[in-house]
Amino acid sequence: MNIDVSDCIVERITVPLKMASLVNVLLRKTSNFSPSKTLLFNLPAVNNVNSKRNAHRWMPDENFVKQFEGVVMFPEGVSGLPKHGPYNSIVAPGEKHVRNMVINFGPQHPAAHGVLRLVLELDGETVRGADPHIGLLHRGTEKLIEYKTYTQALPYFDRLDYVSMMCNEQCFSLAVEKLLNIDIPLRAKYIRTLFAELTRLLNHIMAVGTHALDVGALTPFFWLFEEREKMMEFYERVSGARMHAAYIRPGGVALDIPLGLMDDIYEFASKYGERLDELEDVLTSNRIWVQRTKDIGVVTAQDALNYGFSGVMLRGSGIKWDLRKSQPYDAYDLVDFDVPIGTQGDCYDRYLIRVEEMRQSLRIIEQCLNQMPAGEVKTDDAKLTPPSREEMKTSMEALIHHFKLFTQGYQVPPGATYTAVEAPKGEFGIYLVSDGGSKPYRCKIKAPGFAHLAALEKIGKNSMLADIVAIIGTLDVVFGEIDR
Amino acid sequence: MSNSIIKILALDKVATVLSMIRQNGGVFGSLYKLYRQEELKDGKLVGEDSFGNKYYENPRYFYSRNRWVEYSDKFNMNYDASQVPAEWYGWLHYKTDLLPHQDPGRPKYKWMAEHTENLSGTTGQYVPYSTTRPKVEAWMPKPKTSV
Amino acid sequence: MSLAKVFSVSARVRPYGSTGMLVRYASAGQEGKVSKVYPPTSPGYKYVNAEDPDMSMREMTNRAATTLFWTELARGFAVTLAHIFKEPATINYPFEKGPLSPRFRGEHALRRYPSGEERCIACKLCEAICPAQAITIEAEERRDGSRRTTRYDIDMTKCIYCGFCQEACPVDAIVEGPNFEFSTETHEELLYNKEKLLSNGDKWESEIASNIRADHLYR
Repeated sequence: MNIDVSDCIVERITVPLKMASLVNVLLRKTSNFSPSKTLLFNLPAVNNVNSKRNAHRWMPDENFVKQFEGVVMFPEGVSGLPKHGPYNSIVAPGEKHVRNMVINFGPQHPAAHGVLRLVLELDGETVRGADPHIGLLHRGTEKLIEYKTYTQALPYFDRLDYVSMMCNEQCFSLAVEKLLNIDIPLRAKYIRTLFAELTRLLNHIMAVGTHALDVGALTPFFWLFEEREKMMEFYERVSGARMHAAYIRPGGVALDIPLGLMDDIYEFASKYGERLDELEDVLTSNRIWVQRTKDIGVVTAQDALNYGFSGVMLRGSGIKWDLRKSQPYDAYDLVDFDVPIGTQGDCYDRYLIRVEEMRQSLRIIEQCLNQMPAGEVKTDDAKLTPPSREEMKTSMEALIHHFKLFTQGYQVPPGATYTAVEAPKGEFGIYLVSDGGSKPYRCKIKAPGFAHLAALEKIGKNSMLADIVAIIGTLDVVFGEIDR
Repeated sequence: MSNSIIKILALDKVATVLSMIRQNGGVFGSLYKLYRQEELKDGKLVGEDSFGNKYYENPRYFYSRNRWVEYSDKFNMNYDASQVPAEWYGWLHYKTDLLPHQDPGRPKYKWMAEHTENLSGTTGQYVPYSTTRPKVEAWMPKPKTSV
Repeated sequence: MSLAKVFSVSARVRPYGSTGMLVRYASAGQEGKVSKVYPPTSPGYKYVNAEDPDMSMREMTNRAATTLFWTELARGFAVTLAHIFKEPATINYPFEKGPLSPRFRGEHALRRYPSGEERCIACKLCEAICPAQAITIEAEERRDGSRRTTRYDIDMTKCIYCGFCQEACPVDAIVEGPNFEFSTETHEELLYNKEKLLSNGDKWESEIASNIRADHLYR
C-alpha cells in the first residue's frame, strides 16, 4: 500500500501539472527523502506536509520508532574531527595581517553637507586618513556653458554654489563685462553690492547654523533660518525666485529694485544684529562649543597658502587677504568695512570670523541703502542689454535689438580673463575665454570649496572622528560648486 | 484703571479666547475647526469666493499670518492649497491689499475659465497629448477582404 | 523689552588659554598684564580673537567662577528659554500663505488677447532663449492666414524657471504665472502642451494681468 502511495507521488512529479508552483513545492519536499525503502515508511509525513496541512499531525508510528532501537552511535567521521594537541604544546603565533578600519562617511550622512563621500581610515576613533570622493553632483556645467550664449549661461551660475547664488552671478557678469570692456551704472553697482552682502549673510547663516548643528547645537539653526527666510523673500521680491535668482546680469541687473524693498531690508538689517547677539550668547563662550571647535582643524598660515585656500579659511589663519579690499569690484571701494582676521587658524576662529563678517555685511548693507543713487540699472548699450518692454513694443529698432539679443545673443570680443570675486566661501573665479562669438569658448570655474575640501586630508589627519564633522562644517563645502 | 487690572490678570486674553470660540460656532464648532485646521483664530470675514472658501483678516496676528482662508465645508478634510482661485490669490499672498471685488483693474473676460484645484491623482488629471498631426504615419496594411 | 534682550547684554567671556603664536612682551607697569604685538594692522582689517586673557587676579577669579558656576551655560539656556515664550514664526500653510511678489516665477501660462484670440505668434524667441531647451514649438498658417502655433510644449521637468521666456516674449504671451502649487503624482502630467498652457492662462488671467500691471513700471 505504501508503494502505491510512492508511485502516486512519482506520477505527480512526472506528469506535468498545470500549477508549476505546486510541482516546485513537491520537488523540494520530496528531494529531502531519497527513495530508499526505509524512508518510504515515513511517507505519511511527506504526504502530510505537502497536501494535508489541515488534517491531524503525523505522530511517530511504530515503524519509525523501531529504527532508533538499540545503541545509537555517532558517526566516527564527525566526532573524530576535532584534534586536540598535547596539553603542553606551544602554538607559535602566526603572522597576522592587520589594517586600519576603513569606513565611508556619507554620501547619505547628514553631516556630509550634501553628497560628500569621505573614505575615512580609522585607528580606533582617530582618523588616520580622510579621502574625499567627489563627483556625485557633477552636471558638466563648464561644458554646457560652451554651448550656451552668455545670457543663457547665467542661470547655471545660480546653481553652482546654491547657497550664495548672486555672488556667482556677479562673478560671471563681471567677467563678461571685463571682456566687453564696459562699465555699469553706479546704481547697478550698489544694488549688486547690496545683494552680494545679503548673499553673504545667507551663506554664513547656513555655514554657522549647520556647523553648530553638526556639532550638536540645534537651536541656533532654527533662529537663523527664520532670518534666512526673510532674505529669501527679498530675493523673491527683487528677482521673482527665492533662490535661483538670475538677477545680476552682464551689463547691470535684470530689473530695478521695487519700491519699499529698501525700507524692508533696512528694517531687517537693523534687527539682525540682535539675532547675532543671541547666537553669540549661546555659542561663543559656551564651553561645549569651545571644546568642540577650539584647536580643532588647525591650519597654519603656510598651509593655508600652500593649499590655495581663500576666504574665511585663509583669513582664519591670520592672512590679510580679501578681494573686496585688495581689488575692489562694483561698489566695494565706496563703502567702509573691516575684514575680520583670525589668529589661531582653528574652527573657533573661523566661526568668530563668520559672525564678524555678518556684522560687517550689515554695515555694508546699511551704507548701500543710504548711498543708493538714482538712475539706470543697466548699461544703455542697446547691443548688450535688452530694451524695456515699452520701448520694445513701440520702437522698431528696439524690437530688432530685442530679437537679436534673445536669439543670437551678443558678441564678445576675443580675449581671456580671470575674474574673481570674494564669494562668501572664498575666491570664486571664472576664467573666461572668448573667441569673438556669442558663446564662450571656454569657461573654467574656480570654486573655493574645491581647494578647501582637497585639504581635508591634511587638516583632518590625526583628529578624532567627531572632529571631522566639525571640520567639514567649518570648511563650508557646497557640492554644487565643487562638483559643478 | 480697571483696564490695567484686566490686563494684569490677563482677562483680555480670556475674553479673546471666548470670542474665538463664539465666532467659530460654539464649543463643538471650535473643536471641529481645531481638528480640521489645527488652529482657532478670530478675524473679520472679508469675502467668500465662488467655491465657498471664506477669507478672513485680523491684523492682531503678525504679517503673513494676518490673512487666511478657511476652505469650504464641502471639501471636508480634502482641502488643498490649490483651491484658492486666481482672484483671491493675490490678496492672500499679500501682493495687493485690494479685495477682488474692490479691484477695478482685474480683468473679467468671457473666455476666462473657472478655477480648478490641482487635479493630479484624480480622474480629472491632465494627460499629455500631441496637438499636431504626426509627421510620420505608421503603415497600415490593407485589411484582407475576406468577404 | 524681551527676555532674550535682557540676557544678551551680559558681557561675552572670551575663552581662555589661547596659545599665543605671536611675539609678546610683559609691560613693566601693570601686574600680570601681557599684551600681544601683532603685525602692523593695516586699516580695514581687524583681529577677532587676538586678546590674550587678562591675568590680573580679578579677571582670573572671574574666569574661575564662570567655569565653576557654569554661568555661560546658564546664560545660553536662559536665551533659549526666553525664545520659548516668543510667538512662533511658523505659518499654518494651506490656510495662511507667505508673501509673494508680482515678479514671482511659477507655473507657465499662455495668455490671450481680451478678444479671446491667443497671443502667441510662434516667433520662437522663447524656444531660442530657453537655457534648458524645455520648449518645443511648431507653427503653421491658420485658415484665416495668421501665424499660430500648432504645438507649444513645455517640459516642466526640464524647465529651470529662470524667466527668460517671459522676458523674451514680444507679445506677453508666455508668462510665468504666480502659481506654484502644481505638483503632480506622475512625470507625464508635467509635460505641458498648448491646451494645458492656454487653460492655465484662462484660469489665472486675473492674477497674471494684475501682476503685470503692478510691475509694469519696472519692466
